[in-house]
Amino acid sequence: MPSAAGVVVAENLSKVFYTRAGAHTNGGGFRTAIRALVSPERVAKSAVDGVTLRVEPGELLALLGPNGAGKSTTIKLLCGILTPTSGRVEVNGVIPHQDRIANARKIGAVFGQRTQLWRDLPARRSLEVLRDIYGLSAADYQARIKEFDEILELREFWDTRARQLSLGQRVRCDLAAALLHDPPVVFLDEPTIGMDVVVKEQVREFLRDQVNRRGRTVLLTTHDMTEVARLAERVALIDHGRIMYDGATGGLRDLAGVTWQVHVTVETVPAVIDVPGMRVTGALGEFLTFVPSDGSELTPRQAVRQLIEHLPVTDIRVEEPDLEDVMRAVFASGGARAAAE
Amino acid sequence: MRITPLTELTQAARLLPPLAMVVTQLALTFWLWHALYHGVRVSAGLDVTQATTYALLGVLYLQFRTVDRWSNGDTMVQLMMDGTIAFWFLRPVSPRRYYLIRAAGDLAYGGALALLAYAVCLGIGAMASPPSWPAFGAALLTLALGLVITYYLQLIVDLMCFWSTVNDAAVTAMSFASGLLAGAFAPIWFFPSWFQRVNEFLPFQSTLNIPLSLYVGRLPVSDLGVQVAVQVSWCAALALLTWWLWRRAAARVTVLGG
Repeated sequence: MPSAAGVVVAENLSKVFYTRAGAHTNGGGFRTAIRALVSPERVAKSAVDGVTLRVEPGELLALLGPNGAGKSTTIKLLCGILTPTSGRVEVNGVIPHQDRIANARKIGAVFGQRTQLWRDLPARRSLEVLRDIYGLSAADYQARIKEFDEILELREFWDTRARQLSLGQRVRCDLAAALLHDPPVVFLDEPTIGMDVVVKEQVREFLRDQVNRRGRTVLLTTHDMTEVARLAERVALIDHGRIMYDGATGGLRDLAGVTWQVHVTVETVPAVIDVPGMRVTGALGEFLTFVPSDGSELTPRQAVRQLIEHLPVTDIRVEEPDLEDVMRAVFASGGARAAAE
Repeated sequence: MRITPLTELTQAARLLPPLAMVVTQLALTFWLWHALYHGVRVSAGLDVTQATTYALLGVLYLQFRTVDRWSNGDTMVQLMMDGTIAFWFLRPVSPRRYYLIRAAGDLAYGGALALLAYAVCLGIGAMASPPSWPAFGAALLTLALGLVITYYLQLIVDLMCFWSTVNDAAVTAMSFASGLLAGAFAPIWFFPSWFQRVNEFLPFQSTLNIPLSLYVGRLPVSDLGVQVAVQVSWCAALALLTWWLWRRAAARVTVLGG
């Protein structure tokens, strides 16, 4: 049964690229080069390997992973640009690569590293061309441009040719272009890459607004962990083309084995430090750092209570590791792969 | 359709070098053919007026047949290289239709300039009018079909990018072939007979030589039926081939980079 509008479904999705091994990959030499020309060797590279995920209407899912992990290929499969080697994909009840026209009316896409604007036309002209391609009425077009302009401040630069726009201005125009036809599902592939913090925040505010107020489904890839922390309640971790984790953003911390820690300042350091459920990981004069001991199920609140009861505490601070630390720990430890297996 | 005209007209300064080039080329071609015909009344079945008119129209065809999209980063090979070809598959217009509409826009813009240049050449007497209204009509009809053939040939070259990413060699070969074999460099009638016979089996002469030969009266209007039949056959064959190529291309599209 086809899924409803706003739903993104991928089941066992795989994509294998075949390339021709050139002479350089075969060790070089004239004879090898001739052989590669006459009888080229085909090399298979699996970019996406059995990805299964589902995004519900109005949900924002962040797809995370290192470079070459398969994030962008997954997005392109879901968009219908690429045809999967195997598996099933359905977006808004449409199989994207089989019915690209119907799919195009229901999705929007932004690729941070490339633009859909015509580079020698003023941005506004490009938006007008897209208006005509999507067959929007003048009233709808004006209303949406007004809405986007309120957050993205497009009018400041939309008479400039696309090639002369700054990266931030260009991506803001691309966001408007992608949402002009009011699609229920939006794919964003590293939309804020290379932007300064001010513009990044502007784009994040826009995305929050689109998800919360307009109920759009958003699938986002990014390397920016601040973005993930601020926008996504759910993340999917991909590495070597496979989904390694799919769950709450907070759950990544468990996967990484990185947890909260408590920094304590004490009046005097006792000869023996014994706090049930906690162990010391750092001591510098009166400054002590505690983490939960192995097997401990203490919550940060309970830990604070324990520490105050057992030590002459003058100052106490609970610190949670940021998402960037967590991601680094996950990929460094291979924890994600282990979790998937 | 308006993308190319808008792009060109918002950068009017870019129009001047090609215009200067066309004027220079037209003038040189005019003088060259008059010099070649010095003391000669008829050669290869063409008199000086017919040969000059043919050659001048060939110049207009070469210059305005396609609009240079390279500097706009809008050629197929550039779109493939920077990955923006992806957007062709994300719009509610099929890539095939989008390509056709863009080509129509290019032709409308280039055609308008060519028409202007044609009117000026005609006005100053540099080239002659067709011998009769039927000849003019026949030339227009075969030119229209020739442009369709040219469109398909260009499309094949562009579609090669889906297999090889770059198509520089094919573009160069096509540019040379469509200039030489179509008759844009020099009227086909001046080439050796074996060359003309071989050329009859290729689509290029149908793009330009036939309409120009009808225009200058080198081919009688009574040949129109045969020529149109040949052109229509080429159109059908190339349409079928490009339809199949588009299907294959759409299934194997890849986007370079992340």
